[in-house]
Amino acid sequence: MASLKGWVVAGLLGCLALALAYLPPRGATSSGSPFFVGQSPSGTPARQRAQALAEEWRNADAAVRLLEDRPRVKGDSLRASPAIVFRGATLSSNSVRDVETVMDSVWRALGLGETKVRVTLAIELQRPYTSVDAPTPLQDRVAYLAPDSTHRTDCIAYLPAGPYWTSFILGKRDAMQDGLGRFAQWLQAGLGPCAFYAAYGNPGRPVQSWLAARNWDLGLYLGSHGIAGERFSSLTILGDPRFPWFWDGVYSFPPATVACLAGRPSGCRAAVLAGAAEERMIPIPNVVLAERRWWRAQHLLPGERYLGDIARTVGRDRFLAFWTSGEPVDTALAAALKRPVGEWTADWERGFVQPIRLGPAAPLEGVVMALTIAVFAIVLVAGTASRRQIR
Amino acid sequence: MKIILVLFAVVGMPRLLVGQRWERQVEERVQRTIAAVGSSRGLPVVRRSGMLNTDEAASFQTTLEERTSYAIVAVCDDDCSRLQLTLLSPSGSDIAKERNSESLPTLRFTAATSAVYGIRVVMEGCRWNPCWYAVAVIPLGKGAPSR
Repeated sequence: MASLKGWVVAGLLGCLALALAYLPPRGATSSGSPFFVGQSPSGTPARQRAQALAEEWRNADAAVRLLEDRPRVKGDSLRASPAIVFRGATLSSNSVRDVETVMDSVWRALGLGETKVRVTLAIELQRPYTSVDAPTPLQDRVAYLAPDSTHRTDCIAYLPAGPYWTSFILGKRDAMQDGLGRFAQWLQAGLGPCAFYAAYGNPGRPVQSWLAARNWDLGLYLGSHGIAGERFSSLTILGDPRFPWFWDGVYSFPPATVACLAGRPSGCRAAVLAGAAEERMIPIPNVVLAERRWWRAQHLLPGERYLGDIARTVGRDRFLAFWTSGEPVDTALAAALKRPVGEWTADWERGFVQPIRLGPAAPLEGVVMALTIAVFAIVLVAGTASRRQIR
Repeated sequence: MKIILVLFAVVGMPRLLVGQRWERQVEERVQRTIAAVGSSRGLPVVRRSGMLNTDEAASFQTTLEERTSYAIVAVCDDDCSRLQLTLLSPSGSDIAKERNSESLPTLRFTAATSAVYGIRVVMEGCRWNPCWYAVAVIPLGKGAPSR
């Protein structure tokens, strides 16, 4: 009987080890059709190749448009806030003035005045595109021409307006409730890295290389509110466990990002410093293309406002010391924060989301099923063993 | 009356019309320095200006006349904390380097022979990139060749 107990204990320990190894993290449930896996079934290799070429063409086209805009904006130095260039349609002077007025208020709200780096906003108004020789130009991504060693004081943001904001700018659509406020938010979000260049100038080489390596995901938004409204941020899309796609989203992030969501300082440090070790050459022209779904490519949630929040927390002088530092990023950032990067970031993360619990956990129905099978197996084994005993 | 209003509007317009604040700052600073040092009559003052990020350098060449003393002065804007100024021989080697005067490095040099010399500026410290700088090569007059 003693040996039977040993077998039972060994069996249970084996089950426990298997459960620890294979069970998904706590609370993970599948939403059926995964939200973060491709939007449509993948096409044929030829179609994929054509789409990749079209994507390359769009990126190159956006870069060329930005380079074309650079000489056009040289002469406009009357306004401290960004010069605005419209492409795709000719606007009435009233429409231009309206947009400039909103931009001026956005600029003041960001605490900016005359800046060392001049920002230009190139707004691409949507128009019917009929050419069959080339793909449709970039219409759903923002692109930036950041300053480089040949143009140290110019930053241009290329902002496709899409159908809604095009008709709004052209005056064909009335401002709905809070329409102007949302338009201001759209303009503010469109400034992207250019807002950082304007506020803090050109970053030092380590910071520039670090941000280039991660495509500026930590410096997409200088404002203090959410990127598309008072509270809306990438965290709203992905960080709320009530949404059915929450766990799909969690699984799509790198391990460090998930560890940071769980409140672990080591994970937060790794998520922040991803790319900091790379020695990246800054290209000329220095074109930054925002990811199409930038909230998917983040290493930190809500990363788009991370540097803006640091700047507001530590103050201008300490942030400038970090921004222009020649020290490695982790050293410079820790000096500005006056705390280890991981600890500060974990606290910052907790301000947005309740830390998720990591580690294996079984769903209730799974536990009941497993226990039933285990009890059945034990009873079966015990019954068989008792019959084979010699009395 | 309209003309007066327009004039007031133009006068009250932001000074952005005449260039950026930092450019003007450096321009005024270099003019004051030239006036303070005092240049020799008949010989032109060579000036160069531009902007640099931290740790970036810029160079230019200028002809220095034999047995003429020169003051080579560099100034920079308020955000610049340290500027290095180097005089280079026609072959490209360092003749003199000034890096101790923070944002107002000055070199004095008398050319032994007329030749094309190089001048290099390194922005060693800039709090808010880029920082504007200006260099002036001010002839002080004929003198004995010395360094």
